[in-house]
Amino acid sequence: MPESSADRSVNLLGPLAGVRIIEMGQLIAIPWAMKMLADMGAQVIRLESCQRLESYRSDSFYGNDTEGEFWNRGANFYEHNRNKLGITLDLTNPAGMQILKELISISDVFAENFTPRAIKNFHLEYEDVRSLNPGIVMVSSTGYGFTGPWANFGATGPATEGASGLSYMTGYADGPPELPEIPYTDYTAGEQTVFAVMTALMHRLRTGQGQFVDISQTQAASATVPEALLDFEANGRTEPRIGNSDPGMAPHGCYPCQGEDRWITIAVDSDERWRAFCGVVNKPDLAEDQRFKDSLNRWRNRAKLDELIGQITTQWEAHQLMNQLQAIGVAAGAVFDSKDLLFDPHLVERGFFDVVAHHPSTGMPPLPYVGRPWKMSLTPPVPAKPGPMMGEHNKLILSDLLGRNEADLATLEEEGVIGYAPASPRPVSRPSLDEQVRQGRMQRYETDYRKQVARVFPPPESL
Amino acid sequence: MCRGTASRAPYRSPEPNHKGVQTGMSDRALEGVKVLDLTHHIAGPWCTKLLADYGADVLKVERPEGDPARSMPPFYHDEVNQEKSLLFLYLNTCKRGITLNLKTLQGRRMLRELVKDADVLVENFSPRVMSSLDLDFDSLHEINPSLVMVSISNFGQTGPYRDYKAADIVEYAMGGLMYIFGAYDREPLKHALHQAQFKGGTDAASAALMALYHQRLTGQGQHVDVSIQEAVASGLRDVVNNFTYTGAVRRRQPNHSGDLTRLRATSDGYVLPNPGIGARDNWQAVVEFLGVPELDNEKFSNASARLVNAEELGRILDETFLTKNKSEMFFSAHEKRFIYGLVQSPEEVLADPQFQARGYFVNVEHPSTGPLKYPGPPFLLSGTPWGPASPAPLLGQDNQQVFGERLGYTNDELSRLRAIGVL
Repeated sequence: MPESSADRSVNLLGPLAGVRIIEMGQLIAIPWAMKMLADMGAQVIRLESCQRLESYRSDSFYGNDTEGEFWNRGANFYEHNRNKLGITLDLTNPAGMQILKELISISDVFAENFTPRAIKNFHLEYEDVRSLNPGIVMVSSTGYGFTGPWANFGATGPATEGASGLSYMTGYADGPPELPEIPYTDYTAGEQTVFAVMTALMHRLRTGQGQFVDISQTQAASATVPEALLDFEANGRTEPRIGNSDPGMAPHGCYPCQGEDRWITIAVDSDERWRAFCGVVNKPDLAEDQRFKDSLNRWRNRAKLDELIGQITTQWEAHQLMNQLQAIGVAAGAVFDSKDLLFDPHLVERGFFDVVAHHPSTGMPPLPYVGRPWKMSLTPPVPAKPGPMMGEHNKLILSDLLGRNEADLATLEEEGVIGYAPASPRPVSRPSLDEQVRQGRMQRYETDYRKQVARVFPPPESL
Repeated sequence: MCRGTASRAPYRSPEPNHKGVQTGMSDRALEGVKVLDLTHHIAGPWCTKLLADYGADVLKVERPEGDPARSMPPFYHDEVNQEKSLLFLYLNTCKRGITLNLKTLQGRRMLRELVKDADVLVENFSPRVMSSLDLDFDSLHEINPSLVMVSISNFGQTGPYRDYKAADIVEYAMGGLMYIFGAYDREPLKHALHQAQFKGGTDAASAALMALYHQRLTGQGQHVDVSIQEAVASGLRDVVNNFTYTGAVRRRQPNHSGDLTRLRATSDGYVLPNPGIGARDNWQAVVEFLGVPELDNEKFSNASARLVNAEELGRILDETFLTKNKSEMFFSAHEKRFIYGLVQSPEEVLADPQFQARGYFVNVEHPSTGPLKYPGPPFLLSGTPWGPASPAPLLGQDNQQVFGERLGYTNDELSRLRAIGVL
């Protein structure tokens, strides 16, 4: 059994120290939101099942290595579960359910993102949970909401993005709707979940009352496309998809640069900046060109304009052009790939990435992870700890919080209520990096990545 | 309840009760939170709208000519008018509004009066602006030590890009979302509209409440620095960890035409097929659902065979889906617990029975538009109501009440302040 360090049970730092959250989450929507709260000092106890392995423990791995305890090397698991405590519980066993109920009774928040059908089957609806702990805040995050005719429809990120109206508006001018390569609205909903939990906690602080927070991932996304919804409601109009164009600005787009698959975005919002742009790229004739003399003409002739700008930008390295344009006040940004983002001097200087030391048994070095979009002058985040290995905090939680003794723990383990590994781990196959590049799923890979990462992100000093 | 113009209570509301005494269930969650809102455009107003709609008392301070978002299209009935921008009207529900010229000494003096009893001040000027007005956190903290000041900016208050300019597309590019968005062989793409601004605003609202939670427990205020670039970069799943874990750099995916979860055109729109993780191994169920005997073939019955025969599979799937109706497909898929999705146009979203059952769209009556249906609560709280949304403020609507009744300026003084451009 892995060692657990006692200091994880208390949060002396962070604005949310003293808040305890029980998380029955999966994948992104709830885990991401609870990670944000854990970063800021909430004690988040994450439930897992040995019988039903979390998908993010078995989809991509450190070193692309699928051998041994692969479930403790999952990239997306660690990505979404920083600073949490982990307990494995078989909820189909009454003893496991009993433990969950005890945890709920001593917690401030219970958060889950299963379908309402599953929550009903577990008898974990708000009314059930409230009978265990009247002051609890229960958060359910579902694709379409906990009530209504679509309540029991399972959903993925693309499905809620599609239902919200966002996908319909998005895409190249001549093409179908487009979605990004990540479950985007899981994060939109996750962001609003952090806000929702804080709203309910503020109310609870003032009144002592808990409540049920019903998050529809689709509603969360629709709330961010009001222009399109109100334009139809008020004017009966739906704007066509316009790619990277802007209804007001030209040039406004994404243009090719030197190198393979390298790009820059440029947004010019005034005639003055247009002339400044022409100066930087050394094209005085373009500044004089009557077709582009003012914003209206540039917008009318934007197809030609985009073509000419694309011919210019291919002569430039993206970051260099970005910096030169920004120096004279033109909004421009290189299109960052994974590595640009990770090593971005601005983000590194701001300390955006949290360097997290992993448990020695994983064989993983300390690694940087994306942090939070806020910095608080008085209440920094807690020192970053990795997401839990499977069952890592079983003992800590069961003995320190719930008063179980060694014999109880042994019995629970024997009966499979708790565990430290998947009950029946299926072998995982993962295409080789060469194969991923060949299939076009990855742009490239670099074999010296360990050195590159360690150079920019040295291990935390305390290690 | 969100107060209408006629029945607005004074800005200085009674001290919130911190002692856990029960209040009525009709209380809204953020009742008693006083927000001074210096924001403009989208990210800041969305942040303060979230706070206002859930019960905070938000006082929006506009420059005398108004928030620039007042001139952003689309407009109600296409009438270009600073009281008719639909985006502005949506982003400023449940707020009260005053005007104040912060470039004048007198305007700043009046603002400092208002800072004295605010819980939260939110601003989204460029990073240098507040300090150039002597309204930086340190000076405001002296006036009100428990003030939470939230500053939202494109790249944060520090760092080499602090003064860089941005538009939503630049945030997409430098936040890392654009590189993995769009067609394999075309330029990267961004979402339509202003997603990065909304992300920054939501995160700012969350951070404001975390700092306020700490303030309620300790009395201490602090400064919160929110970066929109980081708001985009913090939600990218495996973009960064692909490199840190394996050295690989993700990119826009090639369009494997045989991909079972690829967006497909139907006779009347688009669906997002997904036979579910379990069902992916059960090809027979997929064949039966699609009703195409041709697919009942070893060429397609497992994942690696489907990859080898992707082109043929893609052709059959494209043809099949084009004969289907998207809603019928969506509902019959869910009967089988396939987690299909549906691409809905704005018109369809407005008519969506799920949204209707949950009361998502709400009527807001603004003097310049009459009643209009707005997107309503992003999430539902069982014990504390959202809204009902009172309309966005007319420019300078509450000057008299706030400066006259609250700060004690006489009508003469207010006229003079208007004449010299302070209000």
